[in-house]
Amino acid sequence: MGIQINALKCTNCMACEMVCSYHRDDGFAFLSACLVAYRAKEKKDYFGMLLKEEDVLIVARPEGIEINKIGEEADPDKKADASAKPMLLRESCDLCEDMDDYGPMCIAFCPVDAITLD
Amino acid sequence: MEYLSTDKILVIDLNTTAIEEDELDDSLVEEKIGGVGITKYLYEKYQDDDPIVIGTGLLTGTTYPASASSQITAKSPVTGKLCHCPIIYKVGLEIKYSGFDYIVVKGRSDSPVYLWIHDGVADISDAADVWGKDVWESTDALRTFVGDDLLQTMMIGPAGENGSDYAQVCYNHWNSPDRFGFGKLFGAKNLKGFAFRGMGMIEVAEPEDYVERSLEILKEIKENDFLEKKGLAPMLTVLGEAGVEEWINPITHRNSADYFTPYATNTALFFDEDPELLKESEKDEPGILVSDIYALLSLKKLGLSADDAGRVLKASAKYGIDPFAVAKLSGKNTLEELTGAFDSLQGEVAIPGSGIFTPWCPTGPIFNDFDLSGDEEIMDWWERRQAVSMIFGIQPIFSLMCPELTEANMLELASMGTELELTQEVLDAVIENILG
Ligand code: SF4
Ligand code: SF4
Repeated sequence: MGIQINALKCTNCMACEMVCSYHRDDGFAFLSACLVAYRAKEKKDYFGMLLKEEDVLIVARPEGIEINKIGEEADPDKKADASAKPMLLRESCDLCEDMDDYGPMCIAFCPVDAITLD
Repeated sequence: MEYLSTDKILVIDLNTTAIEEDELDDSLVEEKIGGVGITKYLYEKYQDDDPIVIGTGLLTGTTYPASASSQITAKSPVTGKLCHCPIIYKVGLEIKYSGFDYIVVKGRSDSPVYLWIHDGVADISDAADVWGKDVWESTDALRTFVGDDLLQTMMIGPAGENGSDYAQVCYNHWNSPDRFGFGKLFGAKNLKGFAFRGMGMIEVAEPEDYVERSLEILKEIKENDFLEKKGLAPMLTVLGEAGVEEWINPITHRNSADYFTPYATNTALFFDEDPELLKESEKDEPGILVSDIYALLSLKKLGLSADDAGRVLKASAKYGIDPFAVAKLSGKNTLEELTGAFDSLQGEVAIPGSGIFTPWCPTGPIFNDFDLSGDEEIMDWWERRQAVSMIFGIQPIFSLMCPELTEANMLELASMGTELELTQEVLDAVIENILG
């Protein structure tokens, strides 16, 4: 089981990034998120999501999903340039297992339902 | 202030280059709540130094839906009134996470500078390398210099440096809600702008309750049918402007939202790239991101193609000039003439109501009617709604769409998040003071 991101539905609002970080920090921040809104190519209006799972880095882009095995990704920093903290240093998605009342926080808070549970 | 706050007010004196930090006292929040309640207070405190005051809202950057905005409060060099301009996209959010709730900029620098605000530190930096550059070049140069593409900027371009009444403070590469000539004020202070970046943490007094209530409010919001739509064109359609969607859709790339804003209030237009392209463009500058529905509409009404309208908007954003003023006041109606008229605009852009809030924001409800009728009632409601949005830091266009964002639940979350008793009476008094 894992989360699925529809990058074409996504409006790049960062709500999922905030609540993903919240579920680890109990405060409002972005640094602990394992799900990050990719927004570094602003002038090109090119945006999507990056998700770190146990062994893989998932890049949800408008043209489709790319799955990179961690350790084999040719240039992981290139994919991680959406954030100040490299994706590979972040914790993996735990499906918010400790958030009993919510389940996956990113799914609950995405305002446009761009994230689902697979 | 321990909660929903960085607890810091930054005071920068451009005359002396002194930088001071004050704490944000609970008592000030209990009296003025936040956002424009406090920026107005700070403006008055320092008004002998003709300050520019940047302020976040009390709920900015939290899980309260649409808590995206910060604001600039300053005396408009055009109207002479104390005015408030929302800071949108992801820039308003970044200000709080860069480590300051409020920033007061006093005086005038002898030479061009920009203010680099990052992780609770503020620097007055030499702007010699970016002075004379346009908004895009300046933002790109600072991002390259710092090595961070997510640096968020508020910059002026040549219009502000040259003292145009229509100069805007632009956000990142894009035009802003500034119809007050704040760009001219920046230029007069030799202030090229701000760069923000931060990885801060905002504590909340009762995090579980705050997040739970936020989600309940979000669920209510999501019941609205209008959330099936996205972007500027449906807003103009529902405001009674026919034909906009047919005109703009062929060059619309994607729509995007300000931080945690359920409706995507920004539309990217591609005119140097296939608008249907779904991968990263190989062109550096394929188009323009637009948030200004009335600038777009005014260009359409001049008879421009959508493509040419997009090019006027892009040129305006680079030059740092209000594209609505360009469309309304230039007397021109071709791409070449409009983009050649930036330095020769004359006349006034009307600011409705008491003249302190920007008509970049539609002056009435959108998608919902809020049970309002009559021009006077709508204008009173609009001004109050703008004030409330800018006290709490709510995206000011979305707040015109969404009755579920109530004064009561903003106060409830503000009280829950801060452990302070913030009542309707306090809010009424703050609004009265702002509109006063
Ligand atoms: S399920 Fe939880 S941990 Fe996983 S990406 Fe979503 S918010 Fe983060
Ligand atoms: S919350 Fe949804 S719309 Fe917002 S960035 Fe995440 S996936 Fe995209």
